[in-house]
Amino acid sequence: MNTDVANAIPRLVESGILPPEKASVFLRDARRELVSVRLELRFLLYLGVLLMTGGVGVLVKENLDRIGPVAIAVAIGLAAALALGWVWRTAPPFSRGEVASPHFALDYVLLLGVLLAGADLAYIEVQFTALGAAWPWHLLIVSLLAAAAAVRFDSRVVFSLALASFAAWRGVAVSLFGADLWMGGTEAVRWNAIGCGVLFVLLGFALKRTGKKAHFEPVAVHLGWLLILGGLISGLGGEGGFLYASALLLVGGGLAAGAYRFRRFPLFAFGVLAGYVGLSRFVVEVGEEMLSCFWFFSTALLVILGLVAAQRRMKEPL
Amino acid sequence: MRPEADLANRNASVRSAARGWKKAGAIDDAALSAIENAVPDDRVRVGPVFRVLLFVFTLITVNAGYGFVWAILESAISGRDGDIFTVLAFLAAAALIALTEIQTGRMRRAQGGTEAATSFMAVGYLLGGSAWTAFDTLSLPAKTAIPLLLLLGSALFAAAAWRWGFSFYAALSAAALLGALAFLPGARLLWIALPLAATPVLLRLADSVWHPPAHRSAAMAALIVGLAGVYFAVHLASFDLGLIEAIPDFKGFLRFQAAPGLRWLSIAATALFPVALLAYAVRSRRPLLLLGIATAIASLVTLRQYIHVAPLWVVLTLSGAATAALALGLRRWLDSGPARERMGFTAEPLFDDVSGQRPWRSAPPSSPSRPRRGRMRSRASRAGEGSSAAGDRAARSEHRAPLLTRAPPFNSL
Repeated sequence: MNTDVANAIPRLVESGILPPEKASVFLRDARRELVSVRLELRFLLYLGVLLMTGGVGVLVKENLDRIGPVAIAVAIGLAAALALGWVWRTAPPFSRGEVASPHFALDYVLLLGVLLAGADLAYIEVQFTALGAAWPWHLLIVSLLAAAAAVRFDSRVVFSLALASFAAWRGVAVSLFGADLWMGGTEAVRWNAIGCGVLFVLLGFALKRTGKKAHFEPVAVHLGWLLILGGLISGLGGEGGFLYASALLLVGGGLAAGAYRFRRFPLFAFGVLAGYVGLSRFVVEVGEEMLSCFWFFSTALLVILGLVAAQRRMKEPL
Repeated sequence: MRPEADLANRNASVRSAARGWKKAGAIDDAALSAIENAVPDDRVRVGPVFRVLLFVFTLITVNAGYGFVWAILESAISGRDGDIFTVLAFLAAAALIALTEIQTGRMRRAQGGTEAATSFMAVGYLLGGSAWTAFDTLSLPAKTAIPLLLLLGSALFAAAAWRWGFSFYAALSAAALLGALAFLPGARLLWIALPLAATPVLLRLADSVWHPPAHRSAAMAALIVGLAGVYFAVHLASFDLGLIEAIPDFKGFLRFQAAPGLRWLSIAATALFPVALLAYAVRSRRPLLLLGIATAIASLVTLRQYIHVAPLWVVLTLSGAATAALALGLRRWLDSGPARERMGFTAEPLFDDVSGQRPWRSAPPSSPSRPRRGRMRSRASRAGEGSSAAGDRAARSEHRAPLLTRAPPFNSL
């Protein structure tokens, strides 16, 4: 029970700040006479989806010989179709904007359907090698399928799955086929991660600009910047470490400045941390203990002062 | 906790609730502004992103500063690394405690990131210095030093939680205490008995009108860790593998030798603890449901480990389907109740939910708990009533007291 809020509400009513008809609901909440179990129910649903998907995975792994590949592929496909069919029937018509979900299980059943469909595709590919040597392309198919489902049924969870599958496709494809073409496997994967990140950031920008599913923008932009900065950070330890450190400093600083201007708090944090990591790379290289300690002490102190000043202007909500 | 921090903590709790009402669309900007004026907050707070950044960079500053001074002293006084480390750690801890006091006192910081980092590092350096003293200076054996350090850690984190109001420290304190108890004879019994004995006290503290919200959260955090410890102690796999008894020996799993009757008790407790916890959480409407669900899942997994009722894929798929069906069934059952609620539970979001939905509109006008204005005031006079007798007494006496005494949540109304 939140005794302070419960004590405050009657006084707010008496002073005319809160209308009594609303205060009664607030009071019940504060006294825990009314408790929402929304979070717990969502947790149970998500757990259910994970367990079912895991069960299908084990089924495929353990019973391939006994049941046969066709039966398994058909069964998983049917399960996916059932889930997606229910979503199709339940979901409201397509809209370019944000759509209120008519059923609290919709997102989870959609996720289950897409995951099962993805598992089915992967299984078919492994068993029947439909794509042959180009098998990583099935990740792209999953990504496109998930993206279509996410847009049609307005699901940010499935949209993030689509983006992750796309990035995985680039990673797998490049590590298999791009290693000889470019600067070696790791370098190629890194630049593909950065490329994917740029693509996602541009996608987010386009979504926001056109107003089509603009609420997906944070998903695309956050994942995009994580890929860009993660790709640059992964290069710090190699031969071109200074180059990557310079790039990280520039990109991180630029991101922090842009995020500061547009009051994008998580992006500001990404930028500050990345810029600091890039800058510190130069000092770590020197390897002198006392100098490093002094550097981290003084620069972190300066960053704290900068952050205190920045937060006064940005005024992040509590 | 300082009285002014206590008052600010209570007012922040009301302001936070008001922001939730505003986010849910239940009140407008003018009402929110009026509430914020009525419950002023003199603390310097920052949002979550800045809080994390400030915490991280304060950690870097403190540790790098320590390293810098240590490096200077090490080069000046060679051959006494251990002594330098210990003395410097205690000095750093004292400085950090002073810094935290200045921040929470004169600088009026709360939820600011920096004071959390300095307080955390203060306890960390005290423990680090103590550990060095125990192992290096006193050469205590690990079996003596570790429980002592855990006990010290528990006391320090409890004091930090009490003084500075971080509930996370209370959880760490409870966990460290359980760790220390593992070194005593009859550790498993202590893991069960002590948290259960502390439960009524912690529950009362969690509802106490006399304590600031931070202390109430700390009590709840300690209770959750304690109950998790009880479950771990009664759990069948922990019993069979002697997991608690293995902690002091650092030998990993061992086959626990105990009377067969105790094993049956453990089996029963593994099955019944989640049921009892869920039943209590439902009856008391306390935030213990997730812990109840987690222990129930752990018990079901244990059942599968011991009894092979079906192939793994069948168990996973069926339990997944059952879990989803349970969630859907509960949702439907709650939605079909009067005013979309049953037994005081609803599946609708309330005001602390950030989804931006408007749950208060879903409550029909005929809701039995929506009284007319006159009745509202009469109910309002009982607003401070707690569920426990002590809470009732405390609430009644507070309502008799003038507004500006005993850390009231309102100091300007």
